[in-house]
Amino acid sequence: MSSTVTVACGAGFAGDRMEPAVDFATAEGIDAIVLECLAERTMIAGLLEREKNPSLGYDARLRPRLSPILPLTFPRRRAVITNLGSANPSAAAAEVARLAGEMGLAGLRVAAVLGDDIVDRESHVEWQDDSVLEDGGRWLGVHAYLGVDPIAEALRQGADVVITGRTTDSSLFAAPVVAAFGEGALAGALTVGHLLECSGQLTGGNVADSRESGLTAAEYADLGFPWARVSADGSAEFGVLDGKPARLDPLGATLQLFYEVHDPHAYLTPDAILDFTGIAFDPLAPNRIRMSGARSSGIPERLKAVGFRQAPGCIADLEISYAGHGCRERVLIAAETMRIRLEAIPGVSRFNLDFVGINSVLGLGVDIPWEGSEVRLHVGAVCDSDATARSVEDEIYALTLSGPAGGCGIRSERRAHLSVESGLIARDQVTTSLGWYTA
Amino acid sequence: MKIRELAAARAGDKGSTLDITLVAFNQQAYDTLVEALTEEYVGQLMRRSVPGPVTRHLVPGLLAIKYVMPEALEGGIYASVRAGIHWQKAAIWLLLDEEVPQ
Repeated sequence: MSSTVTVACGAGFAGDRMEPAVDFATAEGIDAIVLECLAERTMIAGLLEREKNPSLGYDARLRPRLSPILPLTFPRRRAVITNLGSANPSAAAAEVARLAGEMGLAGLRVAAVLGDDIVDRESHVEWQDDSVLEDGGRWLGVHAYLGVDPIAEALRQGADVVITGRTTDSSLFAAPVVAAFGEGALAGALTVGHLLECSGQLTGGNVADSRESGLTAAEYADLGFPWARVSADGSAEFGVLDGKPARLDPLGATLQLFYEVHDPHAYLTPDAILDFTGIAFDPLAPNRIRMSGARSSGIPERLKAVGFRQAPGCIADLEISYAGHGCRERVLIAAETMRIRLEAIPGVSRFNLDFVGINSVLGLGVDIPWEGSEVRLHVGAVCDSDATARSVEDEIYALTLSGPAGGCGIRSERRAHLSVESGLIARDQVTTSLGWYTA
Repeated sequence: MKIRELAAARAGDKGSTLDITLVAFNQQAYDTLVEALTEEYVGQLMRRSVPGPVTRHLVPGLLAIKYVMPEALEGGIYASVRAGIHWQKAAIWLLLDEEVPQ
């Protein structure tokens, strides 16, 4: 057995760039490629699609993402691990086997990791906020976060491609390491997975460092995605492919280590409670660092569950622009006019008025310097029905005839009133299994 | 002095929870920020934009300071009625653009 396992991040979200995974498919020294492609947003899309057609519900990018890489990874015996299975991993795995067959990759084996869908055990979930159960809405889906074991088992049994639904993102990356080295590497492998799972966010993307200007546009456009070479003790070296632009250094790695981590002493995964406070990052060379010190302080008693809920009605988003002399005064009057009109519509439970380019992102007040020759008013309103949303939309058009001068450029859209709920479920309520498909 | 002169930052979200990490540029900057950016002070800065309490965690070995705001996003980014619907990554500027209090 090799003394290290090298895992590469080929995608950090469903719509991520295609080229990095293709590059990793042939690059020297890569053992496994992970495509992390599942988010709340794409899971909801999968659930809605599966409702319409029970043989769908996996991510629509399954074929375009895997077609260019399977003919490269299969002959090299490089595992591909992905959560593109979304709301229907078994249908996705069957589809990958079909795709591989069409491409002449006879014998390619696909494993589907099953068991995350627990909608029929929703009553066993302890929800963090159980008031949502009284919102009059319905569950689109309820899923448990699965861990490393079923993926590692599929790899041990020789899977060329492993397709999952809702597993912890870090476990996708940890599985090939644990399959090779066992539990001794677990804490390090999961920490590596946590660092890799957002692709370019480890290698220079989304870095707010006021001391420097960051990467150039040409560098961002070709940003190197990260790989990690993990040892049996769970320590790891991180890098990008030779020649790829990146900023991979201890400071950026620290930003990513704590990204969406709520307690640095206790980051909960299904397999381990990770303690990140003893981690060290050491620079080795340009865009090459070493991580050590990953620890686990135990195993969580219960598994995390996530519920996707659709409340009745919708959220209406509307915008209208004002330009030219006095636009600031006119848009403020337009906003106040909308406030008076919306407060009179009983089906609107909550609304917000903000000014795009002024305070629509951070939600601060309007008592800040305004510059520029135009302003866009945005209205977001939670509506109990489509009829209410229509009334709200009509009100913004009414501003053009019965409001301050020059309202224009109106756009409106309605989106489903969705919420994502967190909960916990007993481990014995969740059973995993593998489904096998061969090209 | 602005906070951004002493640290880099990244923000994320999970459900209603907003989290912001500051990583100080050096030990002296870290010590200054730990002293100045208490839960109470950061709470004041954040309340201009989001509701609820702020909890702070320190990781001195990595010069990192973590702020967690479990009620800030009120039902999560899908329930947001702000124009900047996925605005959470920009929340770092609620801290970085502010002065380090003396």
